Amino acid sequence: MSTTIANAVVTNPPARAPGRSRSWTSYVLIAPGVAWMLLFLVLPILMMVYVSFWTQTTFTIKPILTTKSWEMFFSSDTYLASLWTTVRLWLIVLGCTVVVGYPTALFVGLFVRNKTLSTVLLVLCVIPFWTSFLIRVLAWRPMLGEQGAINIILMGLGLIKQPIEALLFTELSVVIGMTQIYCVFMVGPVAFMLSRIDPNIIEAARDLGAGFPRIFRKIILPLSMPGVVVGAIFVSVMVLGEFATPAALSGRKTNMLGNIIVTQVGSLKWAFAAVAGVVLTLVMGMVVALLLRIVDLRREL
Amino acid sequence: MADGLRLEGLSKHYGDNIALADVSLSVPDDTYISVLGPSGSGKTVLLRVIAGFEQPDGGTVQFGGERLDGVPAHRRGIGFAFQNFALFPHLSVRDNIAFGLMYRERDPVIGQRALRTKVEDIIELVGLTGLADRGVHQISGGQRQRVALARTLVTEPRLVLLDEPLGALDANLRGRMRGELRAIRQRLGVTFLHVTGSESEALAMGDRVIVLDRGRVGQFDSPDTVYNQPASPSVARFLNCYNIFAGRLEGGRFVAGQAAFATGGTPRAAAESAYCIRQDLIQIRSSESPPRDGEAGILASFVTSEYSGASVQYFFEADGGRGVEVEAHLGHRRPEELMPRQPYNLVWNAEQAVVFG
Amino acid sequence: MNSAIVKPALAVYTGLFILFLYAPFIVLGILSFQTGPEGGPQFPIQEWSTYWYRHILGLTPPSRIAPLPIGEALIRSMVLAFMTMVVSTVLGVLSAQAFRKRFTGAGVVFYLIVLGMMVPGVLVGLGMALVANALGIDRTWWGTAFALHVVYTFPFAFLVMLAIFNRFDASVEEAAWSLGVPPARTFRRVTFPLIWPGVLSAMLFAFTLSYDEFARTLFSSGRELTLPLAIYGTFSVEIHPNVFAFGVLTTLFSFALLAVYAILMGISVRRARRLAIQEDIA
Repeated sequence: MSTTIANAVVTNPPARAPGRSRSWTSYVLIAPGVAWMLLFLVLPILMMVYVSFWTQTTFTIKPILTTKSWEMFFSSDTYLASLWTTVRLWLIVLGCTVVVGYPTALFVGLFVRNKTLSTVLLVLCVIPFWTSFLIRVLAWRPMLGEQGAINIILMGLGLIKQPIEALLFTELSVVIGMTQIYCVFMVGPVAFMLSRIDPNIIEAARDLGAGFPRIFRKIILPLSMPGVVVGAIFVSVMVLGEFATPAALSGRKTNMLGNIIVTQVGSLKWAFAAVAGVVLTLVMGMVVALLLRIVDLRREL
Repeated sequence: MADGLRLEGLSKHYGDNIALADVSLSVPDDTYISVLGPSGSGKTVLLRVIAGFEQPDGGTVQFGGERLDGVPAHRRGIGFAFQNFALFPHLSVRDNIAFGLMYRERDPVIGQRALRTKVEDIIELVGLTGLADRGVHQISGGQRQRVALARTLVTEPRLVLLDEPLGALDANLRGRMRGELRAIRQRLGVTFLHVTGSESEALAMGDRVIVLDRGRVGQFDSPDTVYNQPASPSVARFLNCYNIFAGRLEGGRFVAGQAAFATGGTPRAAAESAYCIRQDLIQIRSSESPPRDGEAGILASFVTSEYSGASVQYFFEADGGRGVEVEAHLGHRRPEELMPRQPYNLVWNAEQAVVFG
Repeated sequence: MNSAIVKPALAVYTGLFILFLYAPFIVLGILSFQTGPEGGPQFPIQEWSTYWYRHILGLTPPSRIAPLPIGEALIRSMVLAFMTMVVSTVLGVLSAQAFRKRFTGAGVVFYLIVLGMMVPGVLVGLGMALVANALGIDRTWWGTAFALHVVYTFPFAFLVMLAIFNRFDASVEEAAWSLGVPPARTFRRVTFPLIWPGVLSAMLFAFTLSYDEFARTLFSSGRELTLPLAIYGTFSVEIHPNVFAFGVLTTLFSFALLAVYAILMGISVRRARRLAIQEDIA
């Protein structure tokens, strides 16, 4: 044993700073992951920014720097309209997911105190995610169409005489579709935050004579805000980057920035696509920064 | 192999918390050493630094005459027994014990027969016969303790560090394991460094006792010396069986508040002056019989008592609300009937007090 | 408090909410049994039949409706998902292991990894296509698209493993070291068996996310389609109930996958229970 230790001492000079060897192994372990992310995430994004300043010809791009694509983006009504559509849809869908999702989260997180039941309810909400995203989007077509389920039911109930045509291939159908797909991402974080509220606090407030609206405003809402912000970040990032739902449910009438990128790439207009991509990145960065401003997540979680 | 473990100037801190201030000591081979310290005295950190799980900020660890700085834990040849046992939950008792032999870097035991013999031998030694094929979740706490010990001992380390090994056991089992740990150590001739927060455990088990005080070695002596002659007021405090009076020396007497005690022998130099008298050396006398020559004493009123089988603990209150405890062993004295809130003279032989000044 | 009203109201609402989540699938499931080839993707059901299921499997006589191009796409998607699962789980375990010790730059690295799941697929897909074009590399599902799939799934695997290691009792590893077992072998013999349930979850995550991924794949996979791309292709043309039938089948496949996961989990449950008992003592 002494010889082993002696060897070890020779190969490990005692002058070494303590703890050095340990973080060294950390760097070795983290290196492949970091390399992968730098090569296949950071580099492509930087490339996108770079290409947005390249020169676009009919079918090719040349690495001659110019701001022409940018000028074109901001002088074109189509592009500006899609930027506005993106922001508008983001705001509407975000609002809808909060409004639609919050009561469910309130019930699951706060009112259901039975652990099993709340888990079952949350699992029920998550199960749809086990089907293909695209199938989930497509499933709205037979729901919303002129001869779709909703119209048939409403007519069967005698509530309407004529089928509502505005349900499918409009912005409304996109909003409905996105709300359904994304609102679970709001329910989850909010329910999680609500479940951490100590029931005794609410009990105490009730003893002091506070009614539900007051308790909700003063206790429940503030305590659930970090959950809302986390949910909002999830929803925002996903909605802003969308293109499939509008493509499937709007009949190509609603064009978000994502759709612009897809069509531009389809016609080999790489530089324009890159401009739209950079704009989208900037919008997203601002939105996330804004949301993080509202609540200091690190402190809250 | 005469050289055991030598620590020189070990220090370690976490941010502003000092875990080890300056620990230097030398531990001989083939002994049972207990390390006593209250929580936060740095005793677990000390073990972890010796084992190589943590790097010290300064100082050196030497073992068998070799410096261990920067030597990774698995090349140190030092065993470690955890308070929570840290058994491998996915392995059976046998596989837990065979683990080190099979997978260690230095001469692993490859032959199935050799492995089996070694494992069976140690299973018998620690008294786990018949449980080898159980999962570690199918045995009791005491048995898990034995597995943890067997797992370490089978790799034949020369030094085993035990971090509060009895802490997770119930009182009954703890008593039984004390004897067994000593017996096993003696049979194998290894050095045990046993960390504990219990003074009785430290005194009962160690051939020598190290008392850790705020990251320093407060005392390193035989249990008898530690018990009778604590090296500092803090050591006396950790022993939990001394009445400690703060005050100062004045012309051969120790003045503590309104009381003054006779001192016998020369007081020891210490940063903090204190007068310490063991609880079981105090006699309770009526308020009419004051201390005689060569005796010291204090007048205190009786509060309450606590009966614990072999002894009774009496609680008194002296002037200024200072508590004084007296332990009476029932073997040689009958329990006295004391009247609550009545004054009594608590008297002891001045020679037996330990005085710091 | 009028929680006597609030609670039942919320319960009813939650019921409606779950109906909202499931209704499209129910409708989709019903319509997949529409008769063919003349029946369309809407109500009423003219006649119940399994025509469209047979259509998918190529068991029906040729008609004006082209079969879904799923045969090869399915295999490609499975292979891609499997590759992605392996690589992102390995990367996830390694990175989470690195994060068990404090190191300078950990914060930046954490955000870099998490960025991978946050950045929209169109953006990285576009960026990757641009990089591939600039370097003159062919875009393929097993090359450029695979790299992006890992960018997407690796953060999930990483977070799952981070959570697992958070609850992991490191003293068993120290115990192994103190027995003379070197760290690499300790990881193989002690750590890995104990984190296996977490690894399994990470694998499940990675596989299903990759299997369903299309935004990143769209620009980066070149000519050969993966399964989601084949479905995406149907968006632009008239849809037929064969897509619905296919939706039902993929959903069943996902549940089969979930069942496999549950069985594998069940096998390691005993191990986990042992661990739990050990933790109780500690």
